[in-house]
Amino acid sequence: MANPARATVESALRVRKLDRTLTTALPPLMPGSRPRVDPSTLIPTDVATLDASLQGGLPRGQLSEIAGPRSAGRTTLLLRLMAAATRRGDIAALVDTFDRLDVASAAAAGIALDRLLWIRGQAITRLQDSGLREHPDSWGVVPGPSGLFDRTIDRALKALNLVLQAGGFGVVAIDLADVSPIVLKRIPFTTWLRVQRAIEGSDTACVLLVPEPLSRSAGGLTLSLTARSSWTGDSDRSRRLDALDVQSRIASPRRRVDGEVSLRCVTSVGV
Amino acid sequence: MVGALYAAEGTPAGALEAVAREFSPRIEVCGSPSAGERREVTLDLSGVERLFGNGHDIAAAIRATAADRDLRVRVAIAGTRTAARLLVHFRAGVTVIEPGTEASSLAPLPLALLAVLRTNDSNDSNASNELLLTLRRWGLRTLGEFVALPPADVAARLGQEGVRWQRLAAGDDPLPLVPSVPEERFEQALDLEWPIDGLEPLSFVLGRLMEPLERHLERRDRGAAVLHLRLHLVKNTDGTRPVHERTLQLPTPIRDARTLRTLALLDLESHPPAAAIDRVVVAVDPTPARIVQYSLITRPLPSPEQISTLMARLHALMGDGRCGAPATVDSWQPGAFALRPFAPNVNDLNDANDSNNSSAPILAVRRFRLPIPARVHVDAGKPARVTTDRRGLGGGRVEQCAGPWRTSGVWWEESDREWDRDEWDVTLADGATYRVFRERDSNHWFLEGVID
Repeated sequence: MANPARATVESALRVRKLDRTLTTALPPLMPGSRPRVDPSTLIPTDVATLDASLQGGLPRGQLSEIAGPRSAGRTTLLLRLMAAATRRGDIAALVDTFDRLDVASAAAAGIALDRLLWIRGQAITRLQDSGLREHPDSWGVVPGPSGLFDRTIDRALKALNLVLQAGGFGVVAIDLADVSPIVLKRIPFTTWLRVQRAIEGSDTACVLLVPEPLSRSAGGLTLSLTARSSWTGDSDRSRRLDALDVQSRIASPRRRVDGEVSLRCVTSVGV
Repeated sequence: MVGALYAAEGTPAGALEAVAREFSPRIEVCGSPSAGERREVTLDLSGVERLFGNGHDIAAAIRATAADRDLRVRVAIAGTRTAARLLVHFRAGVTVIEPGTEASSLAPLPLALLAVLRTNDSNDSNASNELLLTLRRWGLRTLGEFVALPPADVAARLGQEGVRWQRLAAGDDPLPLVPSVPEERFEQALDLEWPIDGLEPLSFVLGRLMEPLERHLERRDRGAAVLHLRLHLVKNTDGTRPVHERTLQLPTPIRDARTLRTLALLDLESHPPAAAIDRVVVAVDPTPARIVQYSLITRPLPSPEQISTLMARLHALMGDGRCGAPATVDSWQPGAFALRPFAPNVNDLNDANDSNNSSAPILAVRRFRLPIPARVHVDAGKPARVTTDRRGLGGGRVEQCAGPWRTSGVWWEESDREWDRDEWDVTLADGATYRVFRERDSNHWFLEGVID
């Protein structure tokens, strides 16, 4: 017979929606054994080595992040995650802050495009590009006046909030990979708490695509990526980009899942 | 007692029905649905005697009402619908026969009159033509002669179809009168005592109008396919009263009042009226409601109402043409794509392949929608150094490169979509791999995207 005191405590935690958060803090029952994870609470990435390290995939109902510098395989991994989600019957949403999605790449990754909601951020026109002052904090590729830059990020965050509140999405990602860490750190931390609150207990995995680790929820994961490009061909004429050899370092709360994973992202004709 | 009205050619559509509805709520429009042939109406006159008197009085009243509306109609009243229809086609003016005397009254009428009872079914039409030819060959000329034949012999020679036509010739009704239901209007309107300015007070008004509309749609098991919103504005200085009209095409039949109100308000946020509003009219085009079968196995998806509302909010936030489902297009143009309305199909989702994709991830490009101008130093025909004016974009010495891949297209059209360029993949000293291209006509270099 179950301990009534324990049942009362669990019931109270469930009412306060604290059960899932605190459950992850509990140690495994057997020393050295991993706690059992319900597969329905995870979204696989369909990358075997990565899924093995993640014990099944990214957690639903949590805020996770994929971080890394340019050409580290961030977008490839995100598209792979979305492809896996849409193939399993989920629908996905991408808040594309600076309109960076290449639709051919998304199709090549295997995303069922009719199940992907693509929210395109501010388009920067040539006029704005040539005639207006560049934002001092814009990290590289986003030109335009300072107000426009901040408004674009602000609008993307509002769009993310709308999508999360609507519910029903398996994966919701926001692409902030082209925003400098300085600007990202200016975003109030309560923004991410609000995001976490919106998806808590739901089946949605929210993913941030950022240049550096920024924020994740208590049960979320951080995938820090680095990569080296691999080229093939001996002569100038035969040389071509063959693959990115990606090294992924996984950080999770209380080192629930941990370690480094290597994966190889290959080129495809048409990308 | 049943009456039949037959109008002269050129009668406006619906005019005869309006006259008939003055006398009975149960009317049936006969003839084909095309407007030109809807000139015949039958009406159930049971119980009407207490209002208008006997059959002759009713017929006279109908003729008078029609004459008031500039209509010339024939009127026949009989005990059965078939008899009334045959009589109204045969005799002009008013014809009234006593119930029970249909067969004897119809007996002298020509046999060819049966043609008016044909249905719109082409098979029925062909069968009746053949039957009339057969009866004519038998030497029959009137309905009475046909009715006088022994039914058993008619059945032996013409089958059950012949017996059916024989009963029709006797004035029997094969089917009861099926009343035509007037077209229902799903519309609500409200005149305001004081003009309102702004969307917040309007939301309360819309809520008040949408709720009875929802109940009406629910009673008829209908959903809204199109939402029409007409806002009558206050008078202009020139005395005219402009009307602000908006039409929302809904992706699926919706009848939830809150959803409809939200969609209308979000649309008005983008297209606000120019002046204060003093009359609000909401109408919907009805369509059969959705039947949704939920599943215990698959994950619940957002309902069409939720998706519609979300898309409307996103359109209001991001602008038109910025949200939807991406789609590839049949083109070699770099970066070509289409954006379609986001409407995931639940049935497709249930059929989704659950298999694990074990192939290696395929590299993606982060595309600069507007290519970034770059300065490229070329050495021995290959890019050796790439720099841009953009802060944060690496730039630097080229470690590895591959190319050029020459592509061109749309040169056969006068269009700004034309391209002609050499593409290179380059890895710079900082480890980032870019796709760069040189426009061949201008010899300018651009960054097209990052391999990421």
